Amino acid sequence: MTREMHISEPDLRVLAEDLVRGGTRLIGPARPPGKDGAVVYREVKGLDEIVLVGDPPARSLKEFFLPPTEVLFTYRQKQGDVELAPAPHVFPPQVVLGARPCDAAAVSVVDKVMDWDYHDELWFGRRQATTIVSVACSGGDASCFCTAVGLAPDVAKGSDVLLVPVEGGFHAEILTEKGEVFVAAHATRFAAGGRSEAAMAYRAAARGKAEANLRTDPAKIRAFLESSFEHPIWEGIALRCHGCGACAFVCPTCHCFDIVDEAESVATGARRRNWDTCQTAKFTLHGSGHNPRKGQDCRIRQRLMHKFAIYPGRFQEILCTGCGRCVRICPGGMDLLEMLDRIGREPAAPGEAGRGAP
Amino acid sequence: MNGGNLYQPHLVRIDEIVDETVDTRTLKLTFKDPMLAASFDFKAGQFGEYSVFGSGECTFCIASAPTRKGYLECSFKKVGRVTAAMRELNVGDTMGFRGPYGNSFPLEKMYGKSLVFVAGGIGLAPVRCVIQNALDLRDRFKDVTIICGARSVGDLVYKRELDEWAARKDVKLWQTVDPGGETGGWRGEIGFVPAIVEKARPGAIDAFAVVCGPPIMIKFALPVLNGLGFKDDAIYTTLENRMKCGIGKCGRCNIGPVYVCKDGPVFTAAEIKGLPPEF
Repeated sequence: MTREMHISEPDLRVLAEDLVRGGTRLIGPARPPGKDGAVVYREVKGLDEIVLVGDPPARSLKEFFLPPTEVLFTYRQKQGDVELAPAPHVFPPQVVLGARPCDAAAVSVVDKVMDWDYHDELWFGRRQATTIVSVACSGGDASCFCTAVGLAPDVAKGSDVLLVPVEGGFHAEILTEKGEVFVAAHATRFAAGGRSEAAMAYRAAARGKAEANLRTDPAKIRAFLESSFEHPIWEGIALRCHGCGACAFVCPTCHCFDIVDEAESVATGARRRNWDTCQTAKFTLHGSGHNPRKGQDCRIRQRLMHKFAIYPGRFQEILCTGCGRCVRICPGGMDLLEMLDRIGREPAAPGEAGRGAP
Repeated sequence: MNGGNLYQPHLVRIDEIVDETVDTRTLKLTFKDPMLAASFDFKAGQFGEYSVFGSGECTFCIASAPTRKGYLECSFKKVGRVTAAMRELNVGDTMGFRGPYGNSFPLEKMYGKSLVFVAGGIGLAPVRCVIQNALDLRDRFKDVTIICGARSVGDLVYKRELDEWAARKDVKLWQTVDPGGETGGWRGEIGFVPAIVEKARPGAIDAFAVVCGPPIMIKFALPVLNGLGFKDDAIYTTLENRMKCGIGKCGRCNIGPVYVCKDGPVFTAAEIKGLPPEF
């Protein structure tokens, strides 16, 4: 159902102004106001703040759908009785303008687990309220490897509208019904457009750049992971890991969470959902003191298995978009490209086949 | 769903507290919403998330049987923050409950067969649920053998039911305590549970075994059962991993490809032998 159009940069600027004036929350990759800090997705007031093309923002779009902490409900106790009140969750319309396509794709990958038999209303409430307008990436930096996990700098997955930079504006692909509604609401800003040679050239160049960083076969990686639960590779990889979990927090697809109570007084408080990470020992620690994942090697293995074997086996999606954030942030210099490259070259251990397979 | 979100529990009232041992307690809980109390249903082996508001949530199996309507029971040992808070509660106090979650013991599949229950310590809680369920439908099963043990006489849980089962003619009950755990008047066996299974020699023909207890007990009980002729797919157990959501989202309970909360907690020995050793 893809429809192709064109929007000039001045028109995109007016469109952004219209959105903000109309009360829509506008989110885009931007530097902190008045500062030189790292680009992150944040609420902005206009197009001039948004860094439409560039390296992936320091943090992903995840926080706009699964906030680092959120109230699930509040409680009030009185004389042995308890009253619960659902958190007043309202999801006002928001538009992400300038999402990197990998970050848009990530959100649609996580949709699968959030809808697995039990529909997570908090996640999908925000999903439904959000229109994602991505801008095709120029190919990222040396840590990017989207093409190695089946995506691309111009991937359409998860985006409602995909903009591709061309001279003076953007070639626009309207990808979803939500995208159609968005374009219809701003119809005067868009012009008819068709096949664009310039857009195709931009996309091809970006793909080439990302492909050069890592070429590997996800099927081979999965086969290795499913057959190599016990393997000397894990201990070696884990030596550089501090177990800090930074990789998981910046990851656009890591979605593990904790549920905790936060008392405000003796009688009142809230139950919250907070981001968590499989990289800490406490994540799996039993009340008895027993811990099924004793060492950091077990935790690294779990992270890779979840992303490249378990999730694909369960949901037919790789739980990684190749955004490279974990590589950029790791204080120990852990490099997922290196790991995947190495794993992709290891032969799957035949003796152990089936051990990790679904 | 309750209150418009998956993670908001139903309110339950504590109707009865039983101290099973010095550190293990059973709570009998009733839904405060009479409609829910009447309609609540579950299957043997399923679990729930129990909460004390202000302290948090904890995962336990439902220790009572689905055939006994109108209430549910959980048994717990004080080991952490939530269980410590649970011990402070009194009859009449309010808790939270989410569930039932997870799969269950395939009782229908066991109809017409003999049942062998093997439990150690607090592992009797999930097994007790199946025992009660099976005894409530006693005419649908052949022989029922229960072999349960604890470190000491004082550590045996559900003593009132052990007496009840011991008195039944249609149940063969073997009780045991670890060597040194016996008291002067102890009339049961002395020895580790696997050794008593070997002594009891329950028949494996047309029979299923349900085994729960500490990992070390399961490790040594499985080969004994295999030796008696029980195939791995006729032996059921439950796995307990740390959980938070109970509904397959929070990513905590993976054992290799398995989500214990969704694919379990009930597994056959054959399934468990196919998993990586991460439980």
